[in-house]
Amino acid sequence: MIPVWDLPVRLFHWLVVLLVPLMWWTAEEEMMDLHMLLGKTMLFLVLFRLIWGLIGSSTARFASFVRGPAAIRRYLRGEQRAGVGHSPVGALSVIALLAVLSMQVGLGLFASDEDGDYAGPLSHWVTFDTAETLAERHEQMFYVLLGLIGLHLAAILFYLIVRRDNLVTPMIIGARPDGEGAMVAAPAWRLAAAVALAGLGTWMIVGLL
Amino acid sequence: MKTIFLAAAAAACMVTAAAAQLPPAEAAAKIRARQHNYKQMAAAVRSINEQLRSGAPVLAEIRTRSRLIAGFALQLLRWFPRGTGPEAGVRTRALPTIWSNHRAFTRAGAVLVVASRNFDRAARGGDVAAIRAAWPAVTRACAGCHDDFRAEEH
Repeated sequence: MIPVWDLPVRLFHWLVVLLVPLMWWTAEEEMMDLHMLLGKTMLFLVLFRLIWGLIGSSTARFASFVRGPAAIRRYLRGEQRAGVGHSPVGALSVIALLAVLSMQVGLGLFASDEDGDYAGPLSHWVTFDTAETLAERHEQMFYVLLGLIGLHLAAILFYLIVRRDNLVTPMIIGARPDGEGAMVAAPAWRLAAAVALAGLGTWMIVGLL
Repeated sequence: MKTIFLAAAAAACMVTAAAAQLPPAEAAAKIRARQHNYKQMAAAVRSINEQLRSGAPVLAEIRTRSRLIAGFALQLLRWFPRGTGPEAGVRTRALPTIWSNHRAFTRAGAVLVVASRNFDRAARGGDVAAIRAAWPAVTRACAGCHDDFRAEEH
């Protein structure tokens, strides 16, 4: 087996998988206190992942997998085999998902419901009308997120059925049976630094839970 | 004291209920005006929530808002003359039950009059614990009326 995803990447991934439906459900049921608490957790997770994309293990780093259009074309034509980690096309999905998650968290921070009962922790920085509009965008953005998740799942199915490549197990156990190269794991102090930085960032934005 | 307010609010409302149908343009203007007022109330609610959630609430901030809410609460039942429901042809979430079950609507309005007046009095007093204690009744009064007389979003 070849190591491909480190524990922080996998934990981040599965916590997001857990949080997204929970956050949808708490919003639907108007359990807004819980929704906002989960939102702060999401803020921490996204901040952590962005930092981990700079200083994390090799396959977690944006520099290792984000590729330009030429590389994407070559990959799509099958001229370029991808090493372990995100393929040039998968990279687009990672960027899009992280961008939409960031926007969702950002919108939520400034949003307020129409009756003024619930307001994101930064909502006092904008007028009431703006906060209300942002709440609407927050709702609409969820459908964009759903669309991206749909694409993500479709791609996984495509790899499983057409390419006979199971991507789910490696995301759970962190390793895959074959592949070119292997993940270079980041040392533990980098993880500690990333967690501390993300925690500090979360605290600076929303204060203590 | 409470009953006097309830009775006064109910009486004020019956007068308006008796008023004749409004011409469409006037109905539309009424709807827009009350939506504007509600928005101001919601903004005031947001500010009070924000103050009460903070460790050190600024009483002056709370007082201007509590006065606005208590003042609007007294007028609120008059914002709904007959003809300003969905039939007016303007986007409004006011449900027909406001007029078909007018007695319950009046009662719901009176609950806000009492709650917002109590809260305003507490805010003027300056005892933060008392202010906090008086607040949930106000938001409950808002929600109580919205649950029965306002359509869900979308």
